[in-house]
Parts: sequence; structure tokens; C-alpha cells
Amino acid sequence: MVPKKKKRFYDYSLLFVIIFLTVFGLIMIYSASSYTAQLKMDDAGYYLWRQAKIAGAGFVLMIIVSFIDYHKYTYAILFLYPGSILLMIYTMLFGIEINGKRRWLSLGSLPSFQPTELVKVALILTLAYLVVMLGRRINSWKGLLILFAVDLLPAMLVAANNLSSGIIIVMLAVVMSFVATDNRWNWIYAAAMGAVVLMVLFIEPISNALASMGLLKQYQLSRILVWLEPEAHPLDGGYQVLQGLYAIGSGGFWGKGLGQSIQKMGFVPEAQNDMIFSIICEELGLFGAICLILVFAFLIYRLVVLSMSAPDRFGSYICIGVLAHVAIQVILNIAVVCNAIPNTGVTLPFISYGGTSVILLMLEMGMVLSVSRGIRLDAEQGIPRNNELSDHDQPERWQGHGR
Amino acid sequence: MKTSQNKKSKTLDESMRMKLAVTALVILLALIALFIRIWKIQSDYSDEYNQTILSQQKYDSRDIPARRGDITDRNGTFLATSTKVYNLIIDPSQINADQEDHLEPTVALLNEVYGYDTGELRSLIAEKADSQYIRYAKQLSFDEMNAFETRKEEINREFKKKGDTRRIHGVWFEDSYQRFYPNNSVAGSVVGFAMNDGLEGSGGMEQYYNDQLTGINGREYGYLNDDSNLERIIKPAQDGNTIVSTIDVNVQQIVEKYIAQFQEQMGSKTAACIIMDPANGEIMAMADSRPYDLNDPRDVSAYFTQEELDAMDDKALGDAWNTIWRNFCISDTYEPGSTSKIFTVSAALEEGSITGNETYNCDGFQEVGGWKIKCNKVTGHGLLSVEEGLMQSCNDVMMQIVAGLGRDKFCKFMDIFGFGQKTGIDLPGEADTSKLVHSAATMVPSDLATNSFGQNYNCTMIQMAAAYCSVINGGSYYEPHVVKQIVDPQGSVVESMEPKLVRQTVSSDTAAFIRKALFRTVTEGTGGAAEIPGYHIGGKTGTAEKYPRGTNNYLVSFIGFAPVEDPQVVCYVIVDEPNTDDQAHSSFASGIFRNIMRDVLPYLNIYREGDDSEYAVLEDVVFGDGAETKPDQGGQTEKKETEAETESVHNADTEKETVSGGEAQDGEPQETEAQTRRAFDRDEFVEPQSVEEGQSSENLPGIPAGIENAEIVPELPSMQ
Repeated sequence: MVPKKKKRFYDYSLLFVIIFLTVFGLIMIYSASSYTAQLKMDDAGYYLWRQAKIAGAGFVLMIIVSFIDYHKYTYAILFLYPGSILLMIYTMLFGIEINGKRRWLSLGSLPSFQPTELVKVALILTLAYLVVMLGRRINSWKGLLILFAVDLLPAMLVAANNLSSGIIIVMLAVVMSFVATDNRWNWIYAAAMGAVVLMVLFIEPISNALASMGLLKQYQLSRILVWLEPEAHPLDGGYQVLQGLYAIGSGGFWGKGLGQSIQKMGFVPEAQNDMIFSIICEELGLFGAICLILVFAFLIYRLVVLSMSAPDRFGSYICIGVLAHVAIQVILNIAVVCNAIPNTGVTLPFISYGGTSVILLMLEMGMVLSVSRGIRLDAEQGIPRNNELSDHDQPERWQGHGR
Repeated sequence: MKTSQNKKSKTLDESMRMKLAVTALVILLALIALFIRIWKIQSDYSDEYNQTILSQQKYDSRDIPARRGDITDRNGTFLATSTKVYNLIIDPSQINADQEDHLEPTVALLNEVYGYDTGELRSLIAEKADSQYIRYAKQLSFDEMNAFETRKEEINREFKKKGDTRRIHGVWFEDSYQRFYPNNSVAGSVVGFAMNDGLEGSGGMEQYYNDQLTGINGREYGYLNDDSNLERIIKPAQDGNTIVSTIDVNVQQIVEKYIAQFQEQMGSKTAACIIMDPANGEIMAMADSRPYDLNDPRDVSAYFTQEELDAMDDKALGDAWNTIWRNFCISDTYEPGSTSKIFTVSAALEEGSITGNETYNCDGFQEVGGWKIKCNKVTGHGLLSVEEGLMQSCNDVMMQIVAGLGRDKFCKFMDIFGFGQKTGIDLPGEADTSKLVHSAATMVPSDLATNSFGQNYNCTMIQMAAAYCSVINGGSYYEPHVVKQIVDPQGSVVESMEPKLVRQTVSSDTAAFIRKALFRTVTEGTGGAAEIPGYHIGGKTGTAEKYPRGTNNYLVSFIGFAPVEDPQVVCYVIVDEPNTDDQAHSSFASGIFRNIMRDVLPYLNIYREGDDSEYAVLEDVVFGDGAETKPDQGGQTEKKETEAETESVHNADTEKETVSGGEAQDGEPQETEAQTRRAFDRDEFVEPQSVEEGQSSENLPGIPAGIENAEIVPELPSMQ
């Protein structure tokens, strides 16, 4: 069966989810920040317009990237991977210092930039490429070591002053290698999972021990203590956690209504940032929360579908990487907001205020959409045909060990 | 089919798909777990957290201060007013919310505009980091407030233009009012002063009418409506009412000027004056010799040297404040002396115990109840009519009249004239004199005798002035008052104080008799020093020897009115213990009276009537009341005369003198008048006649319990 007409697939449902999330995010940013922005900046729309401009630029970037053949990204890896590492080092030395940490890079008149976000994008591409290149060798100790070495080098740099981003970067490699390896390695992932569960159960003695060894910084230790007992440590950050919980708890099923949050009026600090989900719960209630979670679940579902129907493994692993990135951030963010894990600075993808995060998420989505473009549709039935390659000349190379 | 083809050529092999599915499943489970957690939080803590949220909500409520009402004089001149000022509020919690952007520029601007110490501000903001309300400065003027606001806007605009995130933030201004007394010390103790942000008045009208003046503070508050939404409601402040006083600032200033002048030239323990309108009891001026600046009521530096001030402890300072804030005219009591003789005569006339045509022989003393009570002229005045008795201020005549009147009737009239009772004046701190007068039950003959010429009981100035007004105006006792009207902030009258007629004291005939006698007292008798050429002035002197007797301490006084034909002003002046060895000269008081009236009368549009100060001319105009009253009066007089004669048979002197009464009058009074006048003109107060009413200690009658405590009067409410 030869298709009469070549028809490109483009994952519009994914595109609409992205647009929906971004616009919803802007609305919530305005709702959460207008009160404090008016007070501090004399401009209720201060955060909204900053974010809207960046989101708009990001959207354009996404569309452009989506029309670039994703195989060409391999060239980008050449400078993205070392470039992001160098940028990290540069930032650690010369970045803007906020609250004792250098996480930001000044770009002159442009909003400042957070290189850790760039590291994530670079690693998604690098790891995807590496998995394809390693082929079956990924199942060897050596293969895995190479993969994790490539991942851990920037991860450690990032973790040095942003533990949560470091964890996210490690998790990217874990998820991608988990999918890529065969079942012989399952026990290792099961063991890792078990170790994490044990650590969570015995977090207090472990963290105390780590702190006494100097591996855990004081602020990290206190965050763990706050997590366990927010009421007892109101001054060490328990206040923020508690106020977030109050916001969630007071929302009820239908919420107080859009714009009606009380907690955003200075009680939840920087409500438009990491804690925005608590304001969503307060204003839109449990209903709003489940809807948003379902939208994220749908986004993840689309990424799963795309990774399964991608024309080749490089595309698949790009999708898996992006999927892992988004899923981990969503889970961590919501978990922090409802105090299921200690407070870490993880943003809620597409929703939270933050220029670097949104523009690089858009970039990732552009990559995924580009992968979706590679899927050939059966002209008659409109079904993606993943057994045929589009216009890629070297199918074997991108198929990796699957062949 | 396609399926097999698909299966064969899948991008990911089966285990990978499986693992991807597992990953997705784990993610899904995690999301479900999180959702359950959120759901649990809501179902378990919803009520608790809602309450917590509401309780930590500050609702942003604040008071909107009400404006304290003005106090004006009778012509609308402000005695007290409230000007809008601003309190500078620092909100450290807002500044600290973004310390990097806010602290520096805000502190810098506060320093630039007001010169506040930056270090102090910084430490304050750091110390009270969570506070939202620090009243850093009070009572800034509009210009001061505006200077800051303008600069703040300029600087913030500049920051914004440059893209600088720094802002001046966390400082705002709260409306407030400042009490201001445009005339400073004028009518100080009548006006009083406001304290405690204008919520409380201390002394005077500020205290008495505090409820009218304060108004009700408004409030701006946030509350949560049924949907738990924060709503804001403004309940505007209800400003206080304006008090229109009966005081006339110009009259008051004249009074204060001459009291001050006297205090400067001779000085005394206290000099005080009340000016009233006899027709309605309105107080036009009320002053004593201890003025204080209402804008700075705690400044006592005018009365003490710096060393004394330094040595003062809190109690001494408090006493000093109470002394200057005290309104002598209503709070202090004293023995009035001879000014009260008109009440003795009025009572006797009213009761018919005399007709007014009697003649008495003054032999210089009277023996009563075993006491030898002297007249002011120890050698005796000789034969005097009732009128002459008043003119010469003869104690002997009074003692004889009161003996005829009797104890019970005298006490009844003391009561009618309001002695021993509060006048009910609308000022705080009126002295209670009920224990400072004799009752008929406790009165012994010597008490009655001394009371007849104003010794041996205590009264306040306001009692005396009010009682005088009633006699002068034809017998209507009006409650004295200092407030005419209460006007709301919109200018409509809330309450108008109509003259309150308390009772009828004397008949118009008696009133006319007294007016005539007092006119003659000034023109021919002891009150000559009060005479102002061109005016028909009536008045009575008083020289009261103070207790303890024999120390040569006197309280001299003069109460007069003008014009005699149609009394429009009553002016009562007292001088307590003038600073001189020879204190017993009522001319100190009548001199002040004359000075005051000379200025006040023209101001009140009461003009000179030419130089005819002869009573003969006046009689037709004023008392003649045409031919009707005269015969009637005459008839009555005749009848009374016979009664009086029969009643006073035992008094040989009186009976004898009745015969030759008419002729004996002329010489002496004229002489007295001349002498007194001369004395005044020479500015020299030594006079043979001058020991008018004084008594020596040997003649001291029994003092009723309480008189020793005469100086103790109810304290003004404590003022801190």
C-alpha cells in the first residue's frame, strides 16, 4: 500500500494543550500576583505582561523549532551540552546572587536567565542521542556508566546550588535508561525505588546524619524538618508551607472563584511562582485541581503516544525525555505544595511564573512537535504509520538497536 | 494486515513499550496520590483552615478621625478650631517584603524630606519588622505631607522609567486633626483645652460640651461577605458640633487686658472679673489673673522661675497646672463683703419689714448676741436712710435692717438669691457652697448680723453675679451660661440655649429701688471710683476681711452695671489680697471696673449720654415709670412705714432717726464721694474713709463650720 498523498502528521491536540496550559497559566499568574504587584510595582499586570511577552516569544520559538527536522538537533548537541555546562560554571562564578545563591545570569536589558533550565534541554537531547548511539550496548555496565557519567557531570554542577534541579536531571537519565534497558536491569530500578521509599520513611535520621557529615546544607536540613512538622518551624519556611496548605484547604470543592483568593494577599509569598498551585486550589477548588491534573495527564499521555509512534528511536527518546521532565516537575511541584515532600524550588510547567522555564519548555515542545511531524499518516485512514520513515536518509542510524 | 506489520516494525520493542507504560503508570499513580492528598487536606482541614485564614486576615481596618467641633464666641470668632494634620505611618512589613528594593530609597527620602536619622529608621524597621503600623511622626502639616508625596512620586516615576525595580514604599499618611486656639490664652479657663487626640476636653467648654464636640470616629474596614470575599466598607466620620459661646472675644480681651494691667502695676493674689448680660444670664467675659496658653497648657513658665521649675517634681507640676487651669470665677469661694448688702435690703423690702423710707442711726457698732460688731466707720455714720446705708455701705444700718427682717426670712432670701446652691452654669468645676452658708437652724444672731453685710458665709463670683443680675433686671434670676447655641457641621442649629428663667427673686419695685441706690452709690457714695463721665453707672463696692481675721488680708470687689436706665452689662470685679500693706480699698476693684467698662460700653454700642449725672434728671427717665408707679409706690411705702415703725419699736435709734432722716443725708455722702474720687485721681489709695467695711478681730463673730475650708473647692477633673 503506497500512500497516494504524503500527509504530514502534526500533533494539534498537543499544541492545543500547550496553548491551553500557557493561557491558563497567564490567567492564574495575573490572579495570584495582581494584588502584590499593585502594591510593590504600582502595576497589577506587572508579572502578567512580563510572562506573556516571554510566553509569546516562546510560542514563536516552538513553532519554528517544530518545523526543523529533529535530526538536525544532533548538531545542536555539539554545542548545547558543553555550552550549558560552561554556562553553569560561568553562572556559579559571575551570576546574579539572590539569597546567597548564584542561579541567574544577567542578559542586560533582557530578563535574566537560569542556565539550569538549559541544562535540562541539553541533556534530553544528549541522552536521547546517546541511547540511540549506544544501541544494545546500553545493557552493559559500560554503556550505563557512560550514560550516567554524561548525565551526572552537569547534574552535580547544578545540584551544587539547586538540589531539586539536580535531582530532576538525574531522574531524566533514570527514566530514559529505564525504558532503554532490557528487563535484566529491572532489579536495579526496583532497588533504587525501594531505596527512595526507605529514605523517605527514615528521612529524619538520615538527613541528620547527612547534615552532620556536611553533605546536607543547613537550609536543606531545615526544609526537611519543616516538611515533617510545618507548624513547629514557622520561621524556617514552615510559614510558607502552612499558608499554602491553608490555601488548598480553604478552597472547598468549587473554590472561592477566580480572583477571590485571600491567601494571595501577602500570605502565600510569591504566589505566582512555585506555590501557584495552592492558589489554583483555593480559587478553583478541588474541581479546578483535578481538571488541571487531568490536563497534565493528557499532555503526558500525548507524549507517551508520540514516543511510541515516533518515526525512530531518537524521536522516541526525545519525547520520553520531555515526558520525564514535565511529569517530574508536575509531580514534585504539586507534592511540595501539599507538603508531601520537603520544600524544593520546582516550578509548575507552563503555569508558574518564570521566563527561562517557560521559554525552554516551549523549546522542548517544539522538539516534540517536530518529532510528531515525522510521523507519516496513512492518507486514507489518517492513521500514523510508524513503520515508514519520512525523509530521513539514514534510517538505521536513528533506529538504534531496535533493528 | 497492518497490525502484524505494525507489530513487526515498531520503533520501540516490546519491553521498552512495556517500560514506558510502567513509567506512565507510575506517573499516573503519583498524580492520583497527590490528588488524594489534596482531597484529604480539603476534607479534613477545610473548616479549620478557613477559620485560620479568616483569623489571620487583618481586614485592613482603620479609624477615620472625626473632626472636633469648633468653639466660637458670640460673633463667630474662633476660640478653638481643628485643623487637618497628618500622621506619618511607617509600615515595616511592606518595606521588608522586598527589602532590597524598598528600604534604601524609602529611608533616604524620609531623611531628605524630614531629616530623620537614617540609622534610627533602619533599626526601627528592623526591630518591628512585622509591624504594619508605626506612627512615626504626628501632626505634620499639609505642606510637610505633600513634600514627601510629591518627591516620592517623582522618584518612583524615575525608577520606573529607568527600569529600576527600586521603589519608595511603605510610608503613608493618616488624616488627623490638631486642636488650635487662635487666641492662645484668651478666655483660657472658660474654653478649656482638648487632649488625647481631641477625644477629651479638659476644663471649660471643651470639657463640659465634650460630647457635642467630639463627634464619632468613622471607620474603614474590610469584612468577608457570604462568599468569603473581602469587601471594603467606609463608614464616614461624623464630625463634632460647633459650640457658639456667649463669650465676646473683644470684651474678654478688654477684661483680660485690665486685669493684667492691674496685676502688673500693683498685683494681687487673684484678680478676676465676670461680665454678664443681666437680661438673659449670658456670660460675655470671664477671666482671672492666671491666664495660660491653650495651645501649650502645660507651660507654667510664666508663673515660676527656671530654678523653681527645675526643682518641681511631678506632683508639684500637677498642682501648678491645676492652679492655672482652675477657673477662679466658678471654682473658688470667698466671703463677698458689702456687695451683698443689696440682698439684705431687697429681702427686707420684699418682706415688707422696711419700706425704704426708714432712717437709721449708725453709731459705729451694734451689739449682737454678746458681740460688739463694728461698722466700717468706727465713729459712726450718723443718721442714714436705707438708700444711704447702701451708698455709705454702712454695716450698722444693715444689721438693724436684718434684725427687723429676722433670721428665717433672711435665710429664705439667701436661698432665693441662690447662695449655697450651684448656679448650674455650663462649665465644669463649679464650687459647692451648700456647706459654706448658714441655715436658719444653725444661725445665731451674730451670724445673721454679719451675714447682712456679706461676711461669715462664702459664695462664688458666678453666684454673686447671677444674683445681682436678677436684682438689676427687675427680679428674673436667669441661669448663667456660656453657650448660646450648638450648631452641627452643616451649619444648622442643633440646640439653642434659650435664657433659662429659674425664679423670680424680687419685685420690679425693689429692683428699681436698688438700681437707684446703686446709681447713687457710684455718683455720691463709696463707688465713686467706678464712675465714668457720661455714663449712668450703678454699682456696689465690697471690702471683705478675710479669714483669719486681723491679718489685714482683704478681698475687695466691685459689682456694677450700665446703663442704669436699661441695664445691659453687669460687671463684677474682685481683687483678692492686693499686693499692698493697706489692702482694704474697694477702689482697686472699682478702678479695674471703670477701666473695663470705659472700653466695653462703647464697644457694646452703649454711648455716653452727656454729663448729666444728676439723679433728678434720671429719676423721670428710669424709675419714674410715669405717674403710675409713683403714687402706687408712695401708697405702699406709707403703709409699710407704719408697719415698720410698729415692728421696730424696740430700736430706739431707728425710731428717732426716722424723723430727721431727710436732712442729715446731704453733707456726708458728698464728702465721701469727693474724697474717694480724689483718692482715685491721685492714684493714691490712702483715705480716712477707706476702712469701709473692715472688721477687727475682736469683733469676730462665730464662724460657721466649713468657712475655714472655704478655699477648698472641688478640684477640676484630673488632667494628664
